[in-house]
Amino acid sequence: MRVLAHSYVCPNGTFLNGKLIFDTKAEENPLKFTYQQLGTEYPKFYKMDVLSKMAFIGTELLLPFFPESLDTENDLQLLFANASSSQHTDNQFVDSYEKLHNPSPSLFVYTLPNIVTGELCIRYKWYGENCFFIEKQFNAKNYVEWAQMGFNKGNTLCLCGWIEAKTTGEQECFLFLLSPSRETQTSTETELSTLIKQYRNE
Amino acid sequence: MSDLKENLKAQIIEQLNLEDLTPADIQDDAPLFGDQGLGLDSIDALEFIVLLDANYGIKITDPNQGKEIFQSVNTLADYISKNQ
Repeated sequence: MRVLAHSYVCPNGTFLNGKLIFDTKAEENPLKFTYQQLGTEYPKFYKMDVLSKMAFIGTELLLPFFPESLDTENDLQLLFANASSSQHTDNQFVDSYEKLHNPSPSLFVYTLPNIVTGELCIRYKWYGENCFFIEKQFNAKNYVEWAQMGFNKGNTLCLCGWIEAKTTGEQECFLFLLSPSRETQTSTETELSTLIKQYRNE
Repeated sequence: MSDLKENLKAQIIEQLNLEDLTPADIQDDAPLFGDQGLGLDSIDALEFIVLLDANYGIKITDPNQGKEIFQSVNTLADYISKNQ
């Protein structure tokens, strides 16, 4: 299994394959700034929750690395995970009815983390399998095992990601493309674990 | 009318949680729904019905009316000014 490309979105900046693309340390609204810098016209971005916004930006950067011959119905799978589920938006929704006495339908639709996969599939017209797992922490071994299951069934590309927005304000989105190859699963796990540590400056 | 439109834009941003936008980002005649303009969808139509009721005392009873009323800030403001 091989890591074709990777992106990382956090409040301080947006990175592609380890290189800083947009420095957002001084930006009041890093995600809005980054979206506008991308030059992509997709107004629905403004409606999205923070998980979907980060995944959208990270994916836009990875699109050039998708094989041109990709059959998005049969070849591609999406595997995402985080620890806090959609708690960031869940709390906003609770506030909308407890404090504002006005339960918001537009917030309610984002009170599931797998809405992220839906947003991406709508945007790019992807029809393959997708899953959003809840885990205590980033676990490279799981991504590799999950992706391998898809590759065994004939998938040729897997868009994976750790997309986290904690209620304490910490946010990060680490996306990576996996494809089948001769590299061992162990070496891929090691590479992914190293990459996320580098992005986190750990 | 221009005050009404500015108020509407602020209310749309608040009601629909479009926290990244400012009233200046919303054009008076831009389509609110579909892939253009704000890219709103059917869930947001519910929000508009709530917004009109809560802020202007206007109840939309015929869902088909929404397609015309919710086209843009201009059409919303026009409907409010005629029905409030």
